[in-house]
Order: sequence, then C-alpha cells, then structure tokens
Amino acid sequence: MNNSKISKLDKKMDKIKEKEEKGLLKEKKVNRTLRKFFNNKLAVIGLFILLTITFASIFAPIICRYSPGKINLTEALEPPSRDHIFGTDKLGRDVFSRVLYGGRISILVGFGSGIGSALIGVSIGSYAGYKGGLLDKIFLRISEVLIAFPQIVLVLLLVTILGQSLWNLLFIFILTGWASMYRMARARMLSLREEEYIQALKAFGVSDFVICYKHMLPNAIGPVVINITLSTAMFILEETSLSFLGLGVPLNLPTWGNILYAAQNLSILRNNWWIWLPPGIMISLFVLGLNFVGDGLRDSFDPSYQG
Amino acid sequence: MNNQTLLTVNNLSVYIYANQRCNKAVQNVSFEVQKGKILGMIGESGCGKSITASAIIQLLPELARIESGEIIFHDSEEGDIRIDSLDKNSKEMRKIRGEKIAMIFQDPMTALNPVYTVGFQIMESLRYHRKLSKKQAKQRSIELLREMGIPSPERRINEFPHQYSGGMRQRAMIALAMACNPKFLIADEPTTAIDVTIQAQIFELMFKLKNQYDMTILLITHDMGVIAELADDVVVMYMGNIVEKGSVEEILMNAVHPYTRALLKCIPILGKGKTQELEPIKGTTPDPYDRPQGCQFYPRCEYGTDKCLEFPETCYISNTHAVKCWHHMKVLENG
Amino acid sequence: MYAYIIRRILILIPMLLVITFLIYLGIELMPGDAVSFMIGPESAANIPIERLDELRESLGLNDPFIIRYFRWLGGILKGNFGYSLSSGVPISQIVFSRLPATIELAISALLFSTFLGSILGIIGALKKGSILDNVLTVAGMIGLSLPQFFFGLVAIVIFSLNLGWLPAGGRTMPGYEIFLDRLPHLILPTIVLGSSLTGGVMRYARNSMLESLNKDFIKTARSKGLPEWRVNFIHGFRVAMTPVVVLVGFRLPMLVGGTVVIEEIFQWPGMGREFLSAVRGQDLPLIMMIALFTVSAVLIASFLIDILTALIDPRVRLE
Repeated sequence: MNNSKISKLDKKMDKIKEKEEKGLLKEKKVNRTLRKFFNNKLAVIGLFILLTITFASIFAPIICRYSPGKINLTEALEPPSRDHIFGTDKLGRDVFSRVLYGGRISILVGFGSGIGSALIGVSIGSYAGYKGGLLDKIFLRISEVLIAFPQIVLVLLLVTILGQSLWNLLFIFILTGWASMYRMARARMLSLREEEYIQALKAFGVSDFVICYKHMLPNAIGPVVINITLSTAMFILEETSLSFLGLGVPLNLPTWGNILYAAQNLSILRNNWWIWLPPGIMISLFVLGLNFVGDGLRDSFDPSYQG
Repeated sequence: MNNQTLLTVNNLSVYIYANQRCNKAVQNVSFEVQKGKILGMIGESGCGKSITASAIIQLLPELARIESGEIIFHDSEEGDIRIDSLDKNSKEMRKIRGEKIAMIFQDPMTALNPVYTVGFQIMESLRYHRKLSKKQAKQRSIELLREMGIPSPERRINEFPHQYSGGMRQRAMIALAMACNPKFLIADEPTTAIDVTIQAQIFELMFKLKNQYDMTILLITHDMGVIAELADDVVVMYMGNIVEKGSVEEILMNAVHPYTRALLKCIPILGKGKTQELEPIKGTTPDPYDRPQGCQFYPRCEYGTDKCLEFPETCYISNTHAVKCWHHMKVLENG
Repeated sequence: MYAYIIRRILILIPMLLVITFLIYLGIELMPGDAVSFMIGPESAANIPIERLDELRESLGLNDPFIIRYFRWLGGILKGNFGYSLSSGVPISQIVFSRLPATIELAISALLFSTFLGSILGIIGALKKGSILDNVLTVAGMIGLSLPQFFFGLVAIVIFSLNLGWLPAGGRTMPGYEIFLDRLPHLILPTIVLGSSLTGGVMRYARNSMLESLNKDFIKTARSKGLPEWRVNFIHGFRVAMTPVVVLVGFRLPMLVGGTVVIEEIFQWPGMGREFLSAVRGQDLPLIMMIALFTVSAVLIASFLIDILTALIDPRVRLE
C-alpha cells in the first residue's frame, strides 16, 4: 500500500469495507431518503429540539404549576427559584408557564401560516402551472405584485387596516406568504410537465385534474415539505418580531414575542434577565431546529448527495 | 517487462465508498503499456476503465482510494517511480502530472475553465512547470495551438472555450496536455463527445502525436471502431476485471474470451447492410454491490459451467495474448 | 442588450402603476378627505355644508376617481407626497431626511455580511467535513435562526450596558462631525442586521464553492500538476463567486424594508422607525407613502440589478 498517513477518511473507508465484506450492508431496503436524513446528526438534533418544545407546549397545562395569566403583585419581578423556574414578571406572573403557553400560540401561528400558504400556493401553483393559459397569467401577476412588497411593510400595512388579532395575523401571513409557495410549485410543475410520462398519460386520455394532482404533485412533495419547514421558521420570526413591537398578537394572549415586549424597558433589560432571555432562547432554539431539519430534508431529497 | 515498457500496473485494486457502501470497482488489474504505442482500454460503461486511468495519475475522486497493487512509471531519467506510494497532492506527484503524464477528458466544454481564455490556461502550465516568462509562454502557446492544427492561433489564444467549435476545443485540450512535453498521455474517451466527422481529425492528431512526438498513449473507449483505428494493443475490461488482453490483431481476429467475442458480434459494421446478424449480449450487467461469485461474466455466458464459480486464472495463449477464462479453448475451437 | 432593457422597462412601468393605483385606492378608502383633515371635525360641524362643498369643489375633490388619481400621481412625481396626519409635516421632507440613515445602515450591513459570509463560506468549503467546517455551519445556522430583535437586545446588554464598549443607540451624538466619530454607533446595528444575511451568504458561498470544485475543469487543473491553492482559488473561487455576487445583488432591495426592527431597537433615525411610529399612530397618509416609496425603491433597484446581471453574464440576455 502507500506510505501516506492514515487519514480520518481512510479509517471510515476501512470500516465500511469491513462491513461490506461481512455482508452487513446489503439488507438495507430502507428508504434511502430516510436513511440519509437520520445519518445527518444536525437534522436529528433539530428534530429532537422541535419535538421537545412542541410537546412541552402542548402539555403545558400538565407541566406548569401556575396559570400564565395569574397575577400576583406581591411576587413581582422575582428571580428564578424552585417555586418559579424562570422567575416572575412585572405583574407577578410565572414566566415559565407564560413561555410554555406562549409557545402554543407562536408555534400555531408559524406552523399554521406555513401549512396554510403551502396549501393555497401549491394547489393554485400546480394547476395553474400545469394548465397555463389565462388563469396562470393572472395569478402570476398577482404574485409578482405581492412579492414586490417587502414583507414587513406589507404585513404592517395590513395590520393597520385590519386591526390586531390572532386570526387576523394568521390571515395576513397566509395572504402575504402564498405567493412564494405558488412560484415554487409552479416552477416545479413547469419542468415536470415536459417529462415523457406526462405525455404518455395524456395520450391515454387521463384527465388533467388527475394528472396534475395524482401523478405530478407527489414528485414535487420534496421541495414543498422543505419549504414548509423553512417558511414556518420565517413566520415564527415574523410573528415574534411583530409581537415584540406590540403590533402582533394582542397582549392578553402570551406569545414568545410579546413576552419579550416587556424587555423594551431598559431597567427590565438590565436587571431582570429571566424575563426576556428564556423566551428569546426558545425562539432561537425552535427556529434553529427548523433550520436543521429543513437543511437535512434538503440534503436527503437531493439525489446527487452521496452521504 | 522489458526496457520498452513505460508503465506497469500490477494487481491494482480501487474501491469506491459512496453512499456508505463499498464498491469494489477495480480488482486485481495488471497490464503494461509499451513505449511509443497506443494501448486501447475497452469495456462497457461502469466497467472501471476510467477509474483505472484516474488511479494512474492519482486523480481519483475523494471517496475512492487505491486499495492495493502497484503502479510503476519507468522514467528514462529518474528510473522507476512508484506512483501508488506517492501522496495525491505531493510535490513529486504534481511534478509528474503535466511534465511526465498528462490526461485529456471526454467533454472539452466542461473540462476547460469557462472564465479564462484558452491562452491563459495553456500558459499557466508552462509558467508553473517550465518557469517561462509571460512572453515566452505566449509564444510557446501559439506554437502549440498551431501544431495541434488550430488555425490563426494568435487570435485564438485570446478567446474563450465557448468561442471554439467542438473539434477545436478537443485540440485545444490536447495542446494544453502537450504543453510540457509529457511522455505519456491518458485519453479518456476523447472522441465520445464529438461529431463522427470530426472524430477522424482527432484520430489523425493522435497518430501524429504517436509518430512525430513518440508519445505513448493509453486510450479509453467503449467503441470497438476506435480501437480498430488507433490501438496497437488492447485490454478488455468487464466489471472491474481485465478479461482479455493482447495486440489489436489478436483481439479483433482471434478473441478467445466469451465477452470479447460477444462484444465484437453485437457491433454493427457500416456498409454490411441490414442483413448482418447482430447478437446482443443476453442479460444485464450485475449490481456492483451484489456481484456474482467467481467469474463476473458467468451469468451471461454461453460457455459457462460450474467451474466458473471459481475465479479464472490468467492463461497465456501467446507472448502477448492473455485471457482469464476456463473455457477459452472451447471458444478458440468455435472459431 | 437594448432589447433586454426595453423589455425590462415594459415590465417595470405597469408594475409601478399597479402599485401606485393600489396605494391610492387605500388612501381613498380611508375615512375623511383633505377637507376634513384641514378643518377638523369639530369646526366642520359649525360650517354650513354648502361652504364645505364649495371648498371641495375648488380643491377638485369632486372630480372623478381617475382624474384625482392622475393628479395625485403627478403630485408624487413632482415630489409632493402629502402631509403627515400626526405632525402636519410634508411627507417628502420626512422621507428624504430619514432616507440617508437607512441607506447607510443597509449598505454597511450588506457589505459586512457579504465579505464575512463569503470568506467563511469558502473556508468551510475548503475544509469540508472538518471540525471548523461544522462549527462554521452551525454558527451560520444560528445567525439565520436568531431573531434580530433578540440578538439586538443581547448585544446591547453585553456590549453597551455591561462592557460599555459601544453606545446603545442613536446614530450620532452632538459634536460628532466626521464619519469616524460616528462609527461606534454603526457597529452594533450593522452586525445585528447583517447576522442573518451573513448566515445565508455563508451557506450559499460554501455550496457554490463546493459545486465549482466538483466541476470537470478542476480535474483538468489538477492534471496539469498545479498546486492546490491555485486550483482552489484561481480556478475554483473565481467561478464560484459569480452566483454569490448575483445573490447579494438581489438581497439589497430586501434590506430596504428589513431595517424596521433594528432601527427601533437601536433608536436609529431611519425610514423604518418612522414607518413604525406611523403605524402606531395610525397615521395613514404617512404609512401609505412610505409603503409606496419602499416598494418603488425595491422594484427600481431590482430592475437596475437585472440590467447589471445581464452586463456580467451574456447568457441572461436571451431570456
């Protein structure tokens, strides 16, 4: 053999060679996509983070000792203790339970907007992209106008007009968000449309509707799922930013963002770190998890990535 | 081995580690390349010929490595060089590449950098290896383009690859390879991506290299026609093994391996008319991760018996003609 | 080339018209008009209706919608953006006084992220799979995931309140003349604003570099016996950077709207902050105008970048 130093790569290769010769690697009939995903350490960590935080939020009523809205002025602004894991805020409310309950709303808004804009964007995009024609052109122009607006500007504009509420926010997010999903689905459809098996299906007289939704859409699922993950991340960041500014979800419903609203006060910022640090870290962790998973999905669905 | 051998490959094995699997792409391959001759390496896609070529110049992809064997380059000045023992990017290996061994690739459009002029890319080699000044390098580059048959080289030198036609690009790549006068050229399917009409020109160029410059060429192809035109000696590969090797006359006229025979039979000959018998080889190439036991061609071979479950040894039919098949005598009888 | 520019203009103009139309529609739908604004509801109650109507007529407020639209559009092109509801100050004055601050912030964030992101991305690609690469990748992801306002708060707490190295806000202090004096104020907002863009550029640069290094001409370069650094930089990097530059060009318009949160946290006197206070104060004319301004700026900037891209890459012109 050669006299070069045994590198890390060499060792990995030796291990694989051994396993192969023992016939251990042949049986893997597992879906290649899944295998690639679970081999990706970051993706698995991300999934773990997401599931943990989501379940903690869902089971908040069981986990938390105090109700998130319970005001107790005598215990206001107390640092973390055994009684209150994250301390209390200005009104004596338990920060830990507020963070957990806040997660429900933030995750709901983020994920709901992600799925909502995906549903609308993909269904319109696939059909319009496949059929083409007038309908396609109209939606294309509409989406261009929507995309031209910087997102925050458009959202703030609509918040001013429609007013602040949880459902309004969901509506606004989906309204501003479907356009990019639409473009992506449409682009995918456009390229799939030219594939030969589609021509074959048409020659067999299969209806357009069936071709589009039953045959082409499953091939576009990969990018759609990735997009939902990443757009959920974007929506969560948006909702929390808006709520932080006091313009998102109204203050009576805790979300990660509007808990941080209190941090606009310089004294709280300086002295009461337990009020704003936990929700901020929660947001970052959750979005980080989403990004890890989204990246992992992207690598798994990519046929040229060789693990 | 005699002192006319330029390259000796002994029991070379190369494995590829993609997707967490181990693919034994090349196994125990041995052959020699004689000075001043063209050795043709033929086989279907995936048989390992490109990998073998890449191994010789130590340009294997990151996920592949030389498992065992020797690659020995017999340099007239420095004696024998064990290429397999050199580090991929070491100074010695880099000196060999370009100055002693050069390689040209299948698709000249992607093989040349699109953002630099052809002249720049040729001069780069000259200035790095031969330490020429910019002016000298430019002169030499123009000469090279001219020698390789590119018209108006003074103008062409400042043009980009996409401004050249297909055949010209291939010539430019050959000029690039020839810049530092290497002794050995590895040509990986040089005519596959070119029109048939231009192929003839490239063939001529290769003959010129061999005769005028005394070049030794390892020519990789999947086209028997190219072998018939250019090769002096032939090596036939299947699924990572050499199944037969010999001079081009021996292989074309007197092939004794069932695979080589089958290969020759399934190629249509231009001009023979539509009544010629074409026999496709039955079956398909096996999954490289799920190889058959023993001789890799056994499942598709009409001469196969149980003995073939044992991997055949090399048998010499003549001084230069060798084959790896238990039943080569039967094949010989069948004529 | 000219055909391409004309085609692009033909797309740009209708878009701008549609946007202005929508904005004007929004303004029209708001309760009240110029007269009620000028006079105020209480006083209006005391003035006979006929006089109000005369006033409206003289101001041309009873003309058909289309005419009013074009008059308004004409006013805009002349620089008359109307008046702010809360302060009465001409909107054009507000916009143009705030614009430089936002542009300064946006450009410095863009430059910062592009350089840092590209360098780190390339290092990651060259050292692919190493610990450094993994650390950089995760750091980039954190940059992308961290909410900007949170990062801003943390930065302020650490660097201003605790360490006292940098000022906590504002763009400048009285007495600061030259740019160098103002620089400390610019540092934190730039880094925070650039954090997510750096992560994005880093990942894109890394991928572009890896793709470039996978190409055939890299194999050719190696077969010439060139040293690794030359292969990586002269050949790999040069080809990898083109898409990154294009990406960055496209991101510039995005920054125009994205400074809102940062300006609020760092008390940066830019358009974003102005927009925010307009929203809080329900100052509809100001809101509409800033929205119009930012959208137009984005569209025009995208248009210019399209032209620039076509200049660099001839293949684009055929679209």
